[in-house]
Amino acid sequence: MVEAGTHEKGDVFVSIEDGKREVIIKSKLERLYGEAIRDTVEELTREIEAKIIVEDSGALDWVLRARLEAAIRKYRGEKI
Amino acid sequence: MKLRRTRLYIPGNNPHLVENAGLYGADVVILDLEDSVPITQKFDARILVKYSLQNVDFGKSEKWVRINGINTPYWKKDIEEILPYCDVINLPKVESLDDVDTADEEMSLIEDENGIEPRKLVPIIETVRGLKNAREIATHPRVVALAWGGEDLTADLGIPRKKALILDYVRAEIVLAAKAEKKQALDTVFSDVRNMDTLYQYAQRARYMGFDGIGVIHPNQIEVVHRAFRPTEDEIEEARKIIKAAKEAEREGKAVISLNGRMIDPPVVERARKILALAEVD
Repeated sequence: MVEAGTHEKGDVFVSIEDGKREVIIKSKLERLYGEAIRDTVEELTREIEAKIIVEDSGALDWVLRARLEAAIRKYRGEKI
Repeated sequence: MKLRRTRLYIPGNNPHLVENAGLYGADVVILDLEDSVPITQKFDARILVKYSLQNVDFGKSEKWVRINGINTPYWKKDIEEILPYCDVINLPKVESLDDVDTADEEMSLIEDENGIEPRKLVPIIETVRGLKNAREIATHPRVVALAWGGEDLTADLGIPRKKALILDYVRAEIVLAAKAEKKQALDTVFSDVRNMDTLYQYAQRARYMGFDGIGVIHPNQIEVVHRAFRPTEDEIEEARKIIKAAKEAEREGKAVISLNGRMIDPPVVERARKILALAEVD
């Protein structure tokens, strides 16, 4: 499993683990932004066959994209 | 010359702080990938900083990134990821001109690959060896300013920072090294965020020492430092008189400028211009 981001305010925590493709989104603002978050997650992770968990703490779209990119690159084996 | 009175340090892996960094009017925002980012977060921070540089409005603040030092395994990837989107690379623990050349080579490579203009470089002198070589380091064409770091330097000397007697010499050396090459000199961070009176005195002292700015870690410090770097009313008045006398001398075709019976040399006129320019900034 790989992780990116934090649970701090304005951030989002993303984890990707091996398994059947599944996208789980947890956000306190799910009713307002759930769809937008899901759209971005789907757009960026479309080709990844894995379990993706996104725990949002009020992140802006650019933050979500940055954390997803970090998680995806780690999942693909990139190191620090 | 670009104003760099305040450099606001922002931890590079904190989206909330990064998002708001441009709101406070600092001359420079430094997104930090070095000391404020734990090793476990270096990867995430680098990517977050890249995205922030492309998405956050930093206002009038110049966009710097403090990357990891060239003695670490991270600095090349830092440059590769963020160079196209920032204005200045802030390179810590620079010890020699060779260090600057090494960074310069990597920067040139990325600039060529991306077809972008050369970015600037500000080395941070924070070791005794770096201080010894500061004059040479300042000669590099990519270097626009010299900064220095108190904690690491006093640690390198093995003395407690608060009791260190050598720091005025260090400051003088940084200023001389930078100014001899017509570069800016930037004083180290003032880290007591509660004490604004002491901050004002610290910043004013930095100004009279010859520095062009100091580092800050809290937005509340910015206005105080800008005020400290603003010339006093007496200085402004004196500068106005000098410029007026210079203009009169020019109009009358006189080779020598005089004010109240005193001869005014060209460097004095130049200083007066700088003072008026600094006074009119805000």
